[in-house]
Amino acid sequence: MASKGEKHSPLEQFEIIPFSNTELGGYDISFTNSSLSMIITVAVITLFLTLTVNPRSLVPSRMQLVSELMYNFIAQLLSDTVGDNGKKYFPFVFSLFMFVLIGNMVGMVPYQFTFTSHIIVTFALAAIVFIGTTILGFANHGIKFFSFFYIPGVPFYMHPLLIPIEVISYLSRPISLSVRLFANMLAGHTLLKVFAGFVVAMPFFTGVFPLVFIVALTGLEILIAFLQAYVFAILTCLYINDAYHLH
Amino acid sequence: MPQLNPEFFVTQLFWLVVTFSFLLVFLWRISLPRIGNVLEKREKKINEDLTAAKKLQAEAEKIQDIIETQLQQARSDASEMIKTTSTSLQDKAQVELTKLEKGLDAKIGESHEAIEKSKNESVAQIQSQINEITKLTLSKVASFEVSDDEIKNAIASSERSIN
Repeated sequence: MASKGEKHSPLEQFEIIPFSNTELGGYDISFTNSSLSMIITVAVITLFLTLTVNPRSLVPSRMQLVSELMYNFIAQLLSDTVGDNGKKYFPFVFSLFMFVLIGNMVGMVPYQFTFTSHIIVTFALAAIVFIGTTILGFANHGIKFFSFFYIPGVPFYMHPLLIPIEVISYLSRPISLSVRLFANMLAGHTLLKVFAGFVVAMPFFTGVFPLVFIVALTGLEILIAFLQAYVFAILTCLYINDAYHLH
Repeated sequence: MPQLNPEFFVTQLFWLVVTFSFLLVFLWRISLPRIGNVLEKREKKINEDLTAAKKLQAEAEKIQDIIETQLQQARSDASEMIKTTSTSLQDKAQVELTKLEKGLDAKIGESHEAIEKSKNESVAQIQSQINEITKLTLSKVASFEVSDDEIKNAIASSERSIN
């Protein structure tokens, strides 16, 4: 690897740098670069959605239209997958989508930290979804929610095999949900840094080629940033739907 | 890999909870209702405009229908009028013609009668003059006195033989 001889490792960008040393009840809650980018993300979302819709005009400006399109995008997604029951969860799904999307986008800014590339963050978000939908399932169906693992219309001798598979697939939901986002962000950002190392390490003008590749890859990464936020939101919607409709 | 270093797990979780909760509450309470209101207001306005347009269109169609029926009515009235006028004119002309014909017939008949009468008169006059002349001639030529009846009979018999 070209960067091996350099001081920088492609994984250095994921290093957490504390800006302060704060403790609360014996726990370390230092303000770090990760916290900073979370705050930037939240600030961007709240300011954008508030300021662009401030005129509340019937004929929207371009920026107001962007906010309305995002609103409609998630509202449509939720009503397509969950139906009328989904309206209650709209603020949560919308917040989740915007948080992941803008978090990914903030991460695309050079020198900015990508908090969605940390497994603990994505796992926490996935755990909220998983625990929330499981509680919702039990609240809606009580003990009958366990019949979720029982697939009707299958020969009876298949059940000893299928029920454990269903249970495992259900329990692995938070892992797949969090690892998908984490791994995509990790891989994309690492690849960008590896090729950036090539640009510096290659002799003469040949460094232009990896540079061109980086430009293209940045476009792809922006697509992936959106796509992963969309996947996170749509899977959340599907899990909410499962909590309402058993097989 | 820095991601697997548990040293910073707690602080990341703490800040995640803080920022995400703030975002959720802010969007739920402030941003989303605003956008929802704007969208609702727009939808309402569009629906109102659409219903108003539909109403106006229906009215226009109604007016169009009225105009159409009135035109139809006027056309049929006009043709009816033309028909009645032409038939009444024809009737009147017929009446005048028959009246004229009758008058002419009467006049022709009168003339016929007058001609017949004058002819008869003339014939009678000629007859009497012939009688007179015959009488005179006879008396002058043969100093022969003949009664009027005899002359009449003679003339009538000669007339018969001529005819």
